[in-house]
Amino acid sequence: MSIEIRGLTHIYMPGTPFETRALDDVSLTIRDGDFVGVIGHTGSGKSTLIAHLNALIRPEPGHVFVGGVDVGEKGQSLIEIRREVGLVFQYPEYQLFEETVEKDVGFGPRNLGLDEETVKTRVREALSQVGLGEEILEKSPFELSGGQQQRVAIAGVLAMKPGTLVLDEPAAGLGPAGPEGLLTLIQGIHESGVTVVMVTHSMDDAARFCDRLIVLNHGRVAFDAVPGEVFRHEAELRGMGLDVPECVKLVRALKERGMDLGEGLYRMEDVRAAIEREVGKC
Amino acid sequence: MADAIIEVKDVEFRYEGAEEEAVAGVSLRVERGEFVAVLGRNGSGKSTLAKLLNALNIPQKGEIWIDGVAAHEEANSLEVRKKCGMVFQNPDNQIVATVVEEDCAFGLENLGVPPEEIRRRVDEALRVVGMRDYAEAAPHMLSGGQKQRVAIAGVLAMRPKIIVFDESTAMLDPSGRREVFSVAEELNRRDGITIVWITHFMDEALRAGRLLVMDAGTVALEGAPRDVFQKTEEIRKMGLDVPPMAQLAAQLRADGVPLRADIMTVEEMAVELCRSKFGA
Repeated sequence: MSIEIRGLTHIYMPGTPFETRALDDVSLTIRDGDFVGVIGHTGSGKSTLIAHLNALIRPEPGHVFVGGVDVGEKGQSLIEIRREVGLVFQYPEYQLFEETVEKDVGFGPRNLGLDEETVKTRVREALSQVGLGEEILEKSPFELSGGQQQRVAIAGVLAMKPGTLVLDEPAAGLGPAGPEGLLTLIQGIHESGVTVVMVTHSMDDAARFCDRLIVLNHGRVAFDAVPGEVFRHEAELRGMGLDVPECVKLVRALKERGMDLGEGLYRMEDVRAAIEREVGKC
Repeated sequence: MADAIIEVKDVEFRYEGAEEEAVAGVSLRVERGEFVAVLGRNGSGKSTLAKLLNALNIPQKGEIWIDGVAAHEEANSLEVRKKCGMVFQNPDNQIVATVVEEDCAFGLENLGVPPEEIRRRVDEALRVVGMRDYAEAAPHMLSGGQKQRVAIAGVLAMRPKIIVFDESTAMLDPSGRREVFSVAEELNRRDGITIVWITHFMDEALRAGRLLVMDAGTVALEGAPRDVFQKTEEIRKMGLDVPPMAQLAAQLRADGVPLRADIMTVEEMAVELCRSKFGA
C-alpha cells in the first residue's frame, strides 16, 4: 500500500517560547516497493515525519493516507494502519519489553488475535528473516548484544507482516561490524517485497542501499529524487550540515583536475570501474 | 626516555560472571600530549580499556599508571579520575542538572571547590567548548553535539591532564561529530591535554597521532594511522572497515592500476590517479 503525505505540518510546543515547526507543509509519496532513505540534520524533522507514517502522531494540519485511508480521520481505527506500517525505533531497548524473545516477537501477532499456533509460526519466521535461530527464543532480550536486540526489534515488527517497514537509524551505535550485516539484512527484507523507509545519517549507506532519497531541511523537503541526482548538490547538502559519499567527492576532485568520469556516479563499485576505464591497468 | 602519562602493564580484566577476559593482557604507553585513537569492533575490549584508565574498572591483573598514580588500586580512584576525565557515548546519560552551567559545576561541587573558583572554572570550560552563550540553557533543548560539548566542559572544569572519549560521537550526526572532534583536537593542540579517542569511525582514527586497534581483548595493531590502514586485509578480518579511499586504493592496485600504497583521503587519491594518467 502506498503512503501519501499531503500538506503535513507539525509544531511542537505551540504557543510557547520553544515553539518549533518540526514539519512545514510536507507532501510526498512512498510507493509500493520503494527503498527510501530519509536524510537530514538533527532537528530537520526526520523522526517527526516517520512518527506520522504509522499514526504515532496525528496529522494536524495535513493528511497522511495509508493505502488510501486517511489516518487522521475521526474514528479511524489505527490498529490496521500500525499493522500495515511497522516502525522500528533507533534504540532497541525502547522497543523491547518482554521477558523472553519469544514473547516479545509474539506480542504484536498475539494482539492481532491470532491463534497460538499461528503466532508461534510467525515468531519463528520473523526471527529467521533477521538471521536469528530458535536457540534465542527463551533468552531475555536484555541479555543480547546491541546488534541482536536490533534484530529482535525488527523481527517483532515483521511478525505483523507489514507492507512497509520504517527504520529510524537502524545502524546507529552498532559499531563498525554491526551496520554491514544489518543493512544487508534490511536489503533482503526489501527484496522479499516489503517497502522500506530508512532514516540514516550515513550518506554511504544511503548511496549503497536506497533507490530514492528524501532530504529534509528545517522541516521542509529539500530534495526528493534518485541518489545520483541528490548527490549532485554537494554544496547545498553541506549547507544543510550533510555530506556526500566519499566516492562522489572523488569524482568531483578528479573532474577539477581534468579527469571526467561522467555524471551521476555515486556507488563505489561504479566509480572504481570508471577509474579503471579511464586510467587503465598496467 | 619519553614522558609516559599512561602506562598499562600486562593488564587483564574480566567482568563478574563472564567466561572470558574482556581485556586479556594489554600493555601500552601513551606519552604526555599525545592524541591516540583506539579502534575496534563491539566486544573487542576498547570500552573496557577506557574504563580501566578512569578507574571505573579495576584490573584483576597487571598495573595501570595514570600520571604517576596507581589506577590498579581502588583506593586511588578519586585521584585517578581527577587526572583522567571521561566523556561517554550517550550525552543524555551524563548530564545530570537542569541548567547547563550547573551541570558543569556538578563535579567541582562534589569536590568541595569554593564557589568563586567553580564560577571561574565553569565559565572558562564553557568558553573553551564554545557553549558560553548556553550557560543558562536547559540541556534537553540542546542538540546532541551541543550536549556532548557540555559534557566535555563538565570534564574540563575538573582540569584533567587526560580525557578519554568513549565513542563520544557515535550517536551524533555528521556536523555534531565534526563539532565534538574539533573540540578534542583543539584541547590537545592548544592546551596539551592528552587524548584517548575511542571510536569506530575510520575518518576520526585517521586524524589521530597514533592508532591502536583492539581485537579479542588485546592490542592487535599499533602505529601511525596511515601505516595501520594499509593492512586492509588484516583489518577486515577483525570485522572492521578501512577508510573508503584506502579500500578503493587496495582494490585498484589488486586490479593492476599503478598507485601508491598509502592513499587515505579523497585528495590523495585524486592527485595519485591524475599522476598515473597524465604523468608527473
